[in-house]
Amino acid sequence: MAQRKGLTLTDVLITVVIGFVFAVIYSLWGAVYTVLQPLGLHLNELVYGMWFIAAVVAYLILRKPGVALLAEFAAGAGETIVTLQFDVILIVYALLQGLACEIIFAAFKYESTKMMTAVYAGIAAALITLPIDWFYGYLAEVAVWNIVLMFSLRIISGALIAGVLAHLIYQALKETGVLKFVGRRKLSHDEGL
Amino acid sequence: MTVMLEHIKKYYTFVDKTNPLTKILIGLLLFLLVVLMHNPNQLFYLAMIMLVALVVLSGIQLRYLLVMLALFLVFGAFSAMYMVFYGAGTTTLFRFGLIHITEESLIRGIHIMMRGLTLSFFGALVIFTTKLTDVFYSLMIQLRLKPKFAYSFMAAIRMVPIIAGEYMMLRQARKVRKPLIHKRHISGLKGFITTVITLLSQSIRRAYRLGVAMEAKQFDDGPRTYYYQTSFSKYDVLFVEMVIVIAFVSFFLGTEFSLINVTDAR
Repeated sequence: MAQRKGLTLTDVLITVVIGFVFAVIYSLWGAVYTVLQPLGLHLNELVYGMWFIAAVVAYLILRKPGVALLAEFAAGAGETIVTLQFDVILIVYALLQGLACEIIFAAFKYESTKMMTAVYAGIAAALITLPIDWFYGYLAEVAVWNIVLMFSLRIISGALIAGVLAHLIYQALKETGVLKFVGRRKLSHDEGL
Repeated sequence: MTVMLEHIKKYYTFVDKTNPLTKILIGLLLFLLVVLMHNPNQLFYLAMIMLVALVVLSGIQLRYLLVMLALFLVFGAFSAMYMVFYGAGTTTLFRFGLIHITEESLIRGIHIMMRGLTLSFFGALVIFTTKLTDVFYSLMIQLRLKPKFAYSFMAAIRMVPIIAGEYMMLRQARKVRKPLIHKRHISGLKGFITTVITLLSQSIRRAYRLGVAMEAKQFDDGPRTYYYQTSFSKYDVLFVEMVIVIAFVSFFLGTEFSLINVTDAR
């Protein structure tokens, strides 16, 4: 495979498949989220960060422009296919969250694989949809402590799950050796291989 | 997916012939509409008409739709709990510790739930009347999406059952080996990461192999012919008209025949 700058077919294929693996996980994760919902205490926000993990993991693996957005869209669209529910909000959110990660990764010129980069991306993705939630869920009309709780839990979740956990997955994946085939090989994962 | 649906689908309607892109675009506009709709009466009628549209136009057997409706109601109720319990309001209905249910917060909670239901009903109608491959063919033919994206998606969809199969295999292997290995490799964070790594690494290998094979066969983004043809037709016009009429009828009914004396959920 030639070392081209843009996304090759193989890059796209790998990104979409990564997105779909996470789509299966997202669909199962929906049950966890729902179980935590009934109290209204936003405990569900603690697991919210799982929904941006595809973008971060795909970026860490391939480190090319557009990968985070594509992976997150694939994961969102995949969730639609796996659960057989077409949800416009889900697709819009997936695109926005992917875009948020993409902006952070662009700021690092698509080179950094540090854990902090992933954490920043997770936080950015957690923040980006809050304005929509604000209007959709009439959040201005809820007790202040409840809102503060919701926002902080979501940001923590984004940092921990989409940041730290995504990085752990990347590290473990690197050890399997599967990454020597893929991504921008020059600045690559293949130390020691 | 379509194979599975054919068992429970009784008949086909014009919505089946509507272009997937039209449905997706209308879905987006509908999302904007429900976010901007603050009158619970109007939203109630909109949700009800959407439900009728789902039942009549999807052609799906009623008992499946009823099961789905029950699920939508339960999930919808859960998602509105925070508002019902902690929303602002002055007319107290119930108070227990931090929980403070007021008439206003209850109505607002139901309003949020109806927003979700309206979109779910529309989404279900789309799912039951759309072939997945048509979505990607329309994206390529009508929106000129590069084939490498569309075909990657279609190829990846074929891999979902393989991913699911691998997951089941992994579970069974763990069941067999459970007495021999430490519990933390099965449950908890470590177990989760192990599972994800197994699935991801296999999928990346498979995607890489397929990618190399497709490139070797000279798959590229150049001009091509399509096995399936998709186009816009009179059915798209009909579908758009139908949704516009639904919106206006619910505006009218909500204003003229209001059920509750609240015109703004805020």
